[in-house]
Amino acid sequence: MFEYLEYLTIIAAPFYLGAIILYTLRAIKGPSIPDIVLAIDCIAYDLAVFLALIALYYRSPIMITPSLLLSLWAYLLDVFVSKYLALRRVEA
Amino acid sequence: MIEAVLFWLGSALLVIGGVFDFIASIGLLRFPNFYVRLHAATIGTIYGAVLPLLGVSLIALGLPELNGRFIIAGGALATAIILLIIAPVGSHILAYAAHKSKSIEWNPVYDALEEDEK
Repeated sequence: MFEYLEYLTIIAAPFYLGAIILYTLRAIKGPSIPDIVLAIDCIAYDLAVFLALIALYYRSPIMITPSLLLSLWAYLLDVFVSKYLALRRVEA
Repeated sequence: MIEAVLFWLGSALLVIGGVFDFIASIGLLRFPNFYVRLHAATIGTIYGAVLPLLGVSLIALGLPELNGRFIIAGGALATAIILLIIAPVGSHILAYAAHKSKSIEWNPVYDALEEDEK
């Protein structure tokens, strides 16, 4: 079934890549800090899925580990930015 | 037989998740303010990241000749479960902090949280 896997990657990957491009546009445009953080969160979760897809495509199990770390990193970014915004240490 | 079912089920989840992710990114770009964009972003994380990761896990289980398929399946499943927990928590704390810091320009009809803080 590996031949179908290549077709599947060709079908599914453009959606994720296009979504990453649009999220990046929002991260650049974003009028306030929470918008930028939200867009970067979405990029990180999207890249986690894309890394899992790459692990399937190149048949290498080691590529699945960074996806777990990326999702945890995005959550860490949320927590820290929210802490400093809620305490009003930064002017947003 | 069961491998083919797992493979095609996972493929359907992966492609549907990609479509959801693209729609969520369009929403994140087009919606008017932060609190409405939060809706699009959480659709992009649950339907656009958790669902395809479950799909990747099923695809890896459905390929018996794949080297180390249980590592890919288990890693994708663990990532999906962790994302299912942390993505709503992250968006909730971000919305709370955005409202608390008053950094969003918006015109609500009625803001009950603002009333409570007075």
